[in-house]
Amino acid sequence: MEALETYRKKDSSKIIVRFKAVGNAPIMKQNFYKITASNRFQAVIQFLRKELGWKQGDPLFTYINLAFSPAPDDTVANLFKLFQTEGHLIVNYSSTAAWG
Amino acid sequence: MATYSPKHAPGSSPQTAYTTPASTALFRRLVWEGTVPIEIRIDGKELPAGSDRALESYYVQAPRVGYLPLLIPDIKRHLAELVLDDSGVRFLKEEDWWFEAEGGVLMKWHWPVGLLYDHYTTSVSPGASSSSSSTTHWLPFRLTLHLAAPPTDKLLLSPSIEACKQAFMGQLKEADFLRWGSTKRVTGLRKPEHDGLWDGVRDHNFDDYWRVASKITPTTTPSSVPPVSGAPPSSQSVLYRPASTEPGHTGTISAGTAQQTNNAVDGAYSVRNVPVKIYLPDGGPVIQEPISALDETGRPTTLGAILHKFLPLLFPSASLESPSSLAYAIVQGILPPSDTEMAWLGACMAGADGWVNVCVGLRGATTGLGLIGL
Repeated sequence: MEALETYRKKDSSKIIVRFKAVGNAPIMKQNFYKITASNRFQAVIQFLRKELGWKQGDPLFTYINLAFSPAPDDTVANLFKLFQTEGHLIVNYSSTAAWG
Repeated sequence: MATYSPKHAPGSSPQTAYTTPASTALFRRLVWEGTVPIEIRIDGKELPAGSDRALESYYVQAPRVGYLPLLIPDIKRHLAELVLDDSGVRFLKEEDWWFEAEGGVLMKWHWPVGLLYDHYTTSVSPGASSSSSSTTHWLPFRLTLHLAAPPTDKLLLSPSIEACKQAFMGQLKEADFLRWGSTKRVTGLRKPEHDGLWDGVRDHNFDDYWRVASKITPTTTPSSVPPVSGAPPSSQSVLYRPASTEPGHTGTISAGTAQQTNNAVDGAYSVRNVPVKIYLPDGGPVIQEPISALDETGRPTTLGAILHKFLPLLFPSASLESPSSLAYAIVQGILPPSDTEMAWLGACMAGADGWVNVCVGLRGATTGLGLIGL
């Protein structure tokens, strides 16, 4: 149906994601990235793993606003809409579980 | 718009401050006790030689607020171990299991069972179900159990109960953050309480879960604080506080008593946002927007208004029942009326993870609404 298709259109706008290390996690040289809004948070995690050179199985914990881990299928667009800070989506990462 | 609402059901009165109104407790129990009958079959193509193919299905009445990984131990014992012979059982690896509904729909591990079912029934297009006009067409919920080759890129998580618990706690905190702007309520729980939330879900124990959850879930108890000056006169306005009222700053509106203040802080109508996810059929998208408990005029935000606001092409008016609506919306398996208040949904109809899941389905010429009476 046409109406539904309109809502299905992928949001191709870009969101600025800012990565912040927590605890012993290595700091990234560049920590601002533009990520397509329609991506799921899972894609952000995978991107972060690649940038950090993390091997598969290396533990990586990610949080929004030092508060909670979003669902892997939450979209970047939705997380930004609800939890943005000064125009950025702040993603904290840690090699150990930081906030249970 | 009707002037009644579920929160005014008998039993909710200012005298019940600090206790959960009877109507709220009733709806919470109804949600908690809701189940989905599931039929599970193992994919015949994946059964090794020596399996007992005469044993076909395992039936389970799965709690809506539960998760599929929690069913695995029982399915293993009552189905897989009976169907497979000894050598087959030895090679059984639950970490490779995954479930699929008819039509190739993957069942995510971290979605509550009720959401999996509601999203499935709203996704099946009316055309596809025209072969049967029966309202029980989708019951039981038929799932195929695959024993190997999980599509991990789509399932996102492993089927372990620990991963499920982590995802659950994450959602609980995300909901808390949306409501109050911080996760203080969840992180303020003592360790046994924190664990007790998940244990309550795992054991499907209403009392264990709500003993703790009542500390973090807003109540529907009306606040007895006077209305804000300038708010439109309405029979309801005396019961609500403005959305802009932040926890901890309620004294700016009215001195109130300590009891009133605390009551308002925890009130469903005081939250910054109600945690809501709106699922469009057939794989989405999922819509999440800031949804405040009260609209700009100080009146409670309703489900009809929200759907009209965010999906105007599907809901051309705030009346979901209107013939012009191209779609319908279900929450916990039922069709809430248009004037259902979002704050009330958040307090009474959320899942155990604190989220109100609204599944939108398209109205069909012959079916559509017919699917709902399940």
